[in-house]
Amino acid sequence: MNVTQILFWFLSVLALFGALMVVTSKNPVHSVLWLIATFFSISGHYILLNAQFLAIVNIIVYAGAIMVLFLFVIMLMNLNKTTEPKKNRWLKLAGGVAGGCLLLVFIAALKSSEITQQTAEVKTGDIGLIKNLGRELFSTYVVPFEISSILFLSAMVGAVVIGKKE
Amino acid sequence: MNALILSAVLGVIMMFSGVMLKQKSAVRNIAITGLFLLLVVNILEMSGMSFFRINTAGMMHFDRFSLLFNCIVFFSTFVYLLLSARDIEKTGNYYAEYFTLIFFILCGVILVSSFQSLLILFLGIEIISIPLYILTGSDKKNLKSNEASLKYFLLGAFSTGLMLMGIALIYGSVGSFSTAQINMTEKPGALMIAGMILLLFSMSFKVSAAPFHFWTPDVYDGAPTVFTSFMATIVKVAAFIAFIRLFGEAFGNLQPQWQIWIALITAATLFIGNITAVFQQSVKRMLAYSSIAQAGFMLLSLYAMNADAKEGLLLYSAAYSLATIGIFAVLIKMNDYTFDGFNGLAKYQPLLAATTTIFLLSLAGIPLTAGFISKFYMLKAAVATGRHLWLVIFAVLMAAVSVYYYFRVIQAMYFKEGQPGIITTSPVFKYTLVVLAALIIILGIFPNLLLNWYYF
Repeated sequence: MNVTQILFWFLSVLALFGALMVVTSKNPVHSVLWLIATFFSISGHYILLNAQFLAIVNIIVYAGAIMVLFLFVIMLMNLNKTTEPKKNRWLKLAGGVAGGCLLLVFIAALKSSEITQQTAEVKTGDIGLIKNLGRELFSTYVVPFEISSILFLSAMVGAVVIGKKE
Repeated sequence: MNALILSAVLGVIMMFSGVMLKQKSAVRNIAITGLFLLLVVNILEMSGMSFFRINTAGMMHFDRFSLLFNCIVFFSTFVYLLLSARDIEKTGNYYAEYFTLIFFILCGVILVSSFQSLLILFLGIEIISIPLYILTGSDKKNLKSNEASLKYFLLGAFSTGLMLMGIALIYGSVGSFSTAQINMTEKPGALMIAGMILLLFSMSFKVSAAPFHFWTPDVYDGAPTVFTSFMATIVKVAAFIAFIRLFGEAFGNLQPQWQIWIALITAATLFIGNITAVFQQSVKRMLAYSSIAQAGFMLLSLYAMNADAKEGLLLYSAAYSLATIGIFAVLIKMNDYTFDGFNGLAKYQPLLAATTTIFLLSLAGIPLTAGFISKFYMLKAAVATGRHLWLVIFAVLMAAVSVYYYFRVIQAMYFKEGQPGIITTSPVFKYTLVVLAALIIILGIFPNLLLNWYYF
C-alpha cells in the first residue's frame, strides 16, 4: 500500500462519511458544513487524478461561493433550530422504496459494466491540466462554449427582471 | 446557423431597445419585424443560402427536418406576437426584457432541434428552461404566479439534474457525447441503459408526459396567460423535437428496449390528460390538461419512430401550436376564465366565436381541420409498427373523450345566454384570427402544402 492508495481510501471514507452526515444531521447548518467537507474530499480525488483545474474550481465555486449562499439562506430563514416538520410515514416509506430501487439499478449497472476492469490513471496523464483543457475548450468545444454565453445572458436578464424593485 | 445567430443578436437588440426607446409600440414593432426576419433567414437557409460557415465539430446538424421545424416555430411565434404582443404589456414593467427572453428561448429551440451531441441538447434545454422560469413568475404581485414559478423552477432543476446524471452515465459507458457514436455501441451495457432511462424520465418531465406531469396544471394555470400560451405551444413542441431526435438518433438501435416503456407512458398520458380535463371548471386549466392530452398523441410519434411519425410530428406541431395560440389569444381578452365566462359569446362577438370554434374543432380532431389530419398521421405511424394495436384503439377512444370538454366551450358560446365581459379587440387581431382559422382548414385539406417542404 503506497501513499496514493492510502490517500485514496482516506478521501473516499471522508467523502462517504461526510455525505451521510449531510443527510442525517438534524441541524441544517451542520449539514452545510458537512457538505463542505465532502466537496473538499472530492477535490482531493481530483488532485489524485491530476485534474488540478477541476479541483480548484470545485473548491472555489462549490465549497466557496455556493455553500456561503446556502448558509446565508438558512440563516435568513432562521432554520438553524431543529424545526423539521413531521413527515408522513407512508411518504417516508415511498421515498425509501424509490431511492432503494434507484440504488439497486446503479449497483447492478456498475457491477456489470467494464469500468471495474479499467484503472484510473493516478499521478500520470496530463488531460486535466489547464493547458490541455483550454486548448480543447477553444478548439473542439468552442461552439458550445460560445453558446453558453446566451444561457448566462438570459439568466442575468432574468435576475434583473425578477429582482429589481418596481 | 443563420437563425441561431440572428435570434441571439435580436435578443440583445431587444435588451437595448428597452433602454433607448420610450414608446412601447416601437419595442413591439421591432420584435415583430425581428421575428419576420428570423423566418426569412431560416427559409433562405432551407434553400441553401447559409451566411455563416462555422465548424461545429459535428455537434450540430441543420437538416431539412430541423429547419422546417424551426420555420413552424418562428411562424407560430410570429402569429403569437401579432395576436398577443399588446397583452404582454399588462404583465409587468419590463416589456422589452420579456421579448429578449422570448428570443433567447428561440435560440434554445434551434439548438434542441438540430443537436448531434448531448452537450448541445443540455445547453438547449437549459436555455429554454431558465427564461421560462422568469416568464412564469413575471406577474410579481400575483401570489399564484410566484408559486407557479417557484414550483416550476424546483421541479425543473430536479429533472435537469436527472438529465445530467443520465448524460454522465452514457458518457461513462460510451466515452463520447456524440449521438451517432452512442448509437453505434454494439452491446449496450447496464450503465448505458440506466443513463437512457434517466434521460427518458427527464425528457418526459419536459414534455409533461403522464407520471411526470404534476407540475403542468399548476404552472400553466399560475403563469400569466400570455406566457402560458407560449409555454404550452412553442416550448412544448420544441421539447418533443428534442425527444424524438434523442431517441431516434442516439438510442435508435435500442428501440426494442424502450418501445414498451414509451407505449405505457403514452397510454397513461392520454388517460390522465383527457379524463382530468373533463372535470375542470376553468377554461385555462382545461387547456393545461388538454396540452397533456395532446402530448400523449405526440408521444405516439416517438413510439412509432418511422418516416410517417416524423412527418406527423411536424404536422402535429403546426396544427397544435396554431390552434392553441388562437384559443389562448381569445381567452386573454376574456374577463372570466370559467366556462360560464364564454356564455353567449356568439351573440356579441360572432367572429371571435366562429374562429374559436374552428380552433377547438381542430384540437378535438374533427375532419377538414389540421388537427384531424395530424392525428391521422400519428395513428397511421403507430399502426405501421405492427405491434401494440391496443395503444391505437385506446388513443382513438381518448380522442373521443376529448370532444366532450372542447365542445363544452362551443356549447357555452352558442347555446347559452349570457353577457361575456370582453376587452375590445383591434382590427389586426381579428384579421390575424381569421387568417389563422383559414390556415388551419387549408392545412387540414392539403397537408402536403407543409410536408412537401420536408422533401423538396
